[in-house]
Amino acid sequence: MEFQLSFLTGGDVPSLLLSGLVTTVRLFFGAWILGFVVALTLVGLRTIPFAPLTMLVTVFVAYHRNVPTVVQIMVWYFGMPSVLPEPVRLWVNRSDTEFVFALVALGLNVSAYMSEDIRSGLRAIPHTQLEAARSIGLSAFAALRYVTLPQAIRIGLPPLINRTLILFKDTSLAMAIGVAELTYQVKAIENLTFRSFEVFTASTLLYLAASLSLMGIGAWFAKHYPPPYRS
Amino acid sequence: MNRSRRIHLRPALRTLSGVLLGLCIASGHARADALGDIKQRGKLICGTQSTSVPYAYQDAQTRTFVGYDVDICAAIAKGLGVPLEHKPLSTEARIPELKTGRVDMVAGSMAYLPERAEQVDFSLQYLQGAIRVLVKEKSGIKTLAGLEGHKVCASKGSSSAAIASRVLKKSKVLMLQDVASCYLGLQDDKVDGFTAGELVLKRFEVESQTSGDRTIVLGEPTFVERMGVVVNKGNPELLAAVNNALLELDKSGGLDAIYDKWLGAGSVYKLTRAFKVEPVNLQ
Repeated sequence: MEFQLSFLTGGDVPSLLLSGLVTTVRLFFGAWILGFVVALTLVGLRTIPFAPLTMLVTVFVAYHRNVPTVVQIMVWYFGMPSVLPEPVRLWVNRSDTEFVFALVALGLNVSAYMSEDIRSGLRAIPHTQLEAARSIGLSAFAALRYVTLPQAIRIGLPPLINRTLILFKDTSLAMAIGVAELTYQVKAIENLTFRSFEVFTASTLLYLAASLSLMGIGAWFAKHYPPPYRS
Repeated sequence: MNRSRRIHLRPALRTLSGVLLGLCIASGHARADALGDIKQRGKLICGTQSTSVPYAYQDAQTRTFVGYDVDICAAIAKGLGVPLEHKPLSTEARIPELKTGRVDMVAGSMAYLPERAEQVDFSLQYLQGAIRVLVKEKSGIKTLAGLEGHKVCASKGSSSAAIASRVLKKSKVLMLQDVASCYLGLQDDKVDGFTAGELVLKRFEVESQTSGDRTIVLGEPTFVERMGVVVNKGNPELLAAVNNALLELDKSGGLDAIYDKWLGAGSVYKLTRAFKVEPVNLQ
């Protein structure tokens, strides 16, 4: 009954924990890349002065920031397939859908926050830079791509790292639709062995180690790509 | 910037190790004389699940917790000669609550498994349940072997899930949040089978007569669960007192009455009691 972490190395436990960790990391990287790409797209769309488009981006961001993340995952998993035609739906349901839908839901969710982080970076850049870029003949897209956006990402780095860490922990929500990530495997081990304290401690340490690594990567990035000026 | 971050980490690590130490002490805190504590305190704190029909759930009218497990708690308290304090628990919290001594015992319709018995002691068997599989009638699946290569859903953290991954080795076991999600998954053809306790499945089978595709429960069980009341290790007096109370309850006909009320003739399930009050680890 005493607290022993040694059981973690016996039986099926290490392989269950490892497979959970691998799924968590895959889900995290997939969702992060999807989120970052969508966030850049949203930032780009927002710079186009066309009211309905801006409105659309605002609605997208509002939905993903105001609806609980776990509900968004449920909507993708249960809602999306049911609007598809029957044969497509059967095909989708028979493949490994849980992981894909969780990845899409988490990626879109994080994209809304990241686009706001990058947008706040854009707002920190003096408007005169954009005017200067346009006056030397850069197109609106090129000015964004080569002048303002690189600076905006550097300025917005602290909130982006913040969001990255939150996304890593949010991967545990994918458990709600049966993705066998780390927290899911931890609960399965707990249910089988009743060693609640040990197994929850182990998962805490694994999440902590991963989060600290992400913070390390963020610090390296901040050092090598510093913001253009300090305010 | 890097340096200052490193300095800030140190107190955090110290706090963490403090928390871990606290956990060690909490979990290692064996109650030397739990039975004496109960008698001295003058009440039995007995935990059950909180949303598990018909074992322990909130009655819609009275807003009080009722069910098979709650009645078992009451019967044990009566056997020990003290009043009952009932505590509804969530699935994740049931073992930590017991180990930290916030409840004296848990009657959570928890099935005996050898790994679980390394952590807690099980009383004599007070309930038995079969784990079965629900399939769509039109799927044509009649036996467990027929599920080979198909997806089978189980509720996350349940023993049905643990057993399904052992018994249904050739099926893909998918775990969802709860049984309702599993049933939805079955109706949507996300899965071809849904494994859970027979009572849960029976309810869904009845429901499918009126809405959705008709479903049937397969006759062959994946496992027969033998359930006992769970107490902390190292309390032989308490365990003996609980066993005694259960045997007395059985002898007086009280257990039959409780069974009939929640699972038998007096319930929607109409099951017949087929188990004895005997050690849970007899196979």
